[in-house]
Amino acid sequence: MNLKKIRKDVAVVGAGMTVFARRLQETGKEMAWEAAKMALDEAGLTLQDIDAVIMGSAPDAFDGVHKKGDWLLDGAGGTNKPYMRVFIGGGTAVFAPIAGWWHVASGMFQRVLVVCEEKMSSVQPHAQSAFGHIWDPILDRPLKPNLVWIFSMEMQRYMYKYNVRYEDIALVAVKNKRNAVGHPCAQLADPNITLEDVLNSEPMALPVRRLDISPPSDGAAAIVLVSEDVAYEHTDTPVWIDGVGWCIDTTMWTNRDLAFPKFVARAAKMAYEMAGIKDPRKEIDFAEPYDPFDYKELQHLEGLLLAEPGEAAIMTREGKTQRDGEFPVCPSGGLLGVGNPIAAALGIKIGELYWQLAGKAGPRQVKKDVRTGVAQAWGDLMQVSSVVVMRRR
Amino acid sequence: MLERIEKSSEIRHWIGDMEADHYYYSAGIAGEKFFVALRDEGKIVGAHCATCNLTYVPPRIYCERCFAELTEHKDMGKRGCVVAFTVAHYDKAGQRLDPPESFALISLGPRTTPLLHKLGEIAPEKICVGLEVEAVLKPQREGKITDILYFKPVK
Ligand SMILES: [Zn+2]
Repeated sequence: MNLKKIRKDVAVVGAGMTVFARRLQETGKEMAWEAAKMALDEAGLTLQDIDAVIMGSAPDAFDGVHKKGDWLLDGAGGTNKPYMRVFIGGGTAVFAPIAGWWHVASGMFQRVLVVCEEKMSSVQPHAQSAFGHIWDPILDRPLKPNLVWIFSMEMQRYMYKYNVRYEDIALVAVKNKRNAVGHPCAQLADPNITLEDVLNSEPMALPVRRLDISPPSDGAAAIVLVSEDVAYEHTDTPVWIDGVGWCIDTTMWTNRDLAFPKFVARAAKMAYEMAGIKDPRKEIDFAEPYDPFDYKELQHLEGLLLAEPGEAAIMTREGKTQRDGEFPVCPSGGLLGVGNPIAAALGIKIGELYWQLAGKAGPRQVKKDVRTGVAQAWGDLMQVSSVVVMRRR
Repeated sequence: MLERIEKSSEIRHWIGDMEADHYYYSAGIAGEKFFVALRDEGKIVGAHCATCNLTYVPPRIYCERCFAELTEHKDMGKRGCVVAFTVAHYDKAGQRLDPPESFALISLGPRTTPLLHKLGEIAPEKICVGLEVEAVLKPQREGKITDILYFKPVK
């Protein structure tokens, strides 16, 4: 990594996000347009002002259209502009803004629109059917794997290796579903959910129960990225992308360290080095790690070097990761509370960092003064991680 | 804004698919060795990388860590231990499994990549990490991963 080659600082100056829900009627393009328009409006820009467009969306199989990047083009506002779709599964939510970042940081473009869309309700009988084709066709598929039980094995390995209690993991689901109460786009907010509700929810693939999981959803989110040369023309509160990192582990998921996500740590170290962060626990004020399952929030906090292996569960039990705690985690409500339309989690992760750091998070605004936040997503065959550090100056 | 149409009968829509007729997924050069040994000799074989001191099960023709060509194959035997497991209550189509089925990652030796498979002849509550298990093979085999019926606990 040659940091001297980065030419321009890059700021977020607007963000938009649709309601996350089962949205049978709207097309993916319509949702993309809705979110993109919101982000442009906040930045005081029109589509004509945008130099290039990045689209993020997960498997083509969700929409039943191959090469869906060009199919979704018009809703993302990419027609007649430099345009590209990026896709690293669930990691897309934080990788699409990284692609937007390099378009601007390179000095090539001044104003870039990043749009992420996911419509999971089209695929029948269930989004799970599309996931049936992500496995190795010879070794895995004959055993008829289901994503949930693969995650379950990872969760079980994590609990075993670091002596983590299920009750502490389930507290993450309680926290995030309660945090989501303040989110206007939330699908699963529940102000009254208790630990017992999670512990007694239906077994899916033990140790995973129904309330440990974020369900499929439909939705879109967008952000506007601009160069340092024009940032203050658009807002008084630009939020800067000061570090980006990404890394992928082996495709044979059986061969990974299932307890500690080394690839997350590698991605985080890259982003921290770029942001000049030497001691992440002291220098980062809050985090939006990827939380499609409750145990993933804990594992990802550890991968982000914000907790020692196994310690994130203790921090959760002690209330440190609550919105008003000493280190708020997923103040948005996360995927567990707001919903999980794969790539559109851009709005929950990068969107939330922007809104919190710009002081625009409304009822979700964390109590303590925050200047630096980190967001992370996780995807492909549970093997890739993307990390972004953002700051208010 | 929160009110959305929930029933597909209420909107104009079309049903379609985008699949090819079907695909040929080949096992590859290393996979051929693995499945032929499993079918004809009832053996589970792996490939060893001496540089990384790591054994791949099933074998590969290269080491993904150091890119060495792997030519050293070994019979892994049928015994291993559970690295991680789950007790699945739903199948991949979301249908209930009754009784639930147990799946595990099983490592057939030290510094050996684990194999995904089913567990059998054991109650779910008896499964634990480190449990010693052995492969139960079909008597008539076709050269498929399901030639291994499941892994059962070593008595
Ligand atoms: Zn090697």
